[in-house]
Amino acid sequence: MLQEEAEEGILKNKVRRVAIVISTGSYMREAPTTVLRLAEKLLERDIEVNIWAFEEAVTLTNREQVEHSEPPSLRKVIGDKHAYVGKFIDQLLRAGLHTGKLDWVTCILCAQERGVEHHQMNGVIVGTLGDLWKFVRSADQVIAIPAYR
Amino acid sequence: MARYLIVASRDITEYTNGQSLSDLSENLRTEGADVFFFLIENGVISARKDSREAIRLSELSGRGIRVMADDVSCRARGIDRLHPGIELSSMDELADAISEGFGNIYWY
Repeated sequence: MLQEEAEEGILKNKVRRVAIVISTGSYMREAPTTVLRLAEKLLERDIEVNIWAFEEAVTLTNREQVEHSEPPSLRKVIGDKHAYVGKFIDQLLRAGLHTGKLDWVTCILCAQERGVEHHQMNGVIVGTLGDLWKFVRSADQVIAIPAYR
Repeated sequence: MARYLIVASRDITEYTNGQSLSDLSENLRTEGADVFFFLIENGVISARKDSREAIRLSELSGRGIRVMADDVSCRARGIDRLHPGIELSSMDELADAISEGFGNIYWY
């Protein structure tokens, strides 16, 4: 039954695959949060999401990120720990087991330049511009999130 | 009918070249396209009731362009009154619109 519903969902959507290109890193602006929010909603609709992360965005999936404690005076408002963005990406990658599929590829050159090539989270693929080209070629819809100062 | 999605994630009053988004939307609409203008992140600052940019966005709405503001972004900025013609929307609505397909998506 669930399989039938899932297939109906795929048929209902005209768009089957979305590519998202992002270059904004951790704690710079809201763009990564927006991408995660959008990707989650697209996956819920059984749309395959391919994310290409380059420039500072390769730091989003650095597995060495850790939670830190919030100041005691703020804990009642915002909780005990300050979550890092990689935690939410990991959750989304796992959600792809049960919804639309999510691929997250980081640019190898950008990762090497920033020393995070060997620190990428499980499930993240270190790729090349060739992967970006394939994402774009195969996508029904491409969303490029610009970086700006 | 051609469909276009324009997303403003920056404060258009700060990044003044963002004001060209309104002209782009209007021109696309004049040529007969369906245009979705979605405000998110600091883009929702332009949706605040009686702000200068909101008046312009309201004009676009009057010409058949759907102007929407992300609810989470509005709440985060304490914006609870939108200018007439600007709809309070959500990421669900944006995802629904994308799943229907656009001729192009321009993210600013």
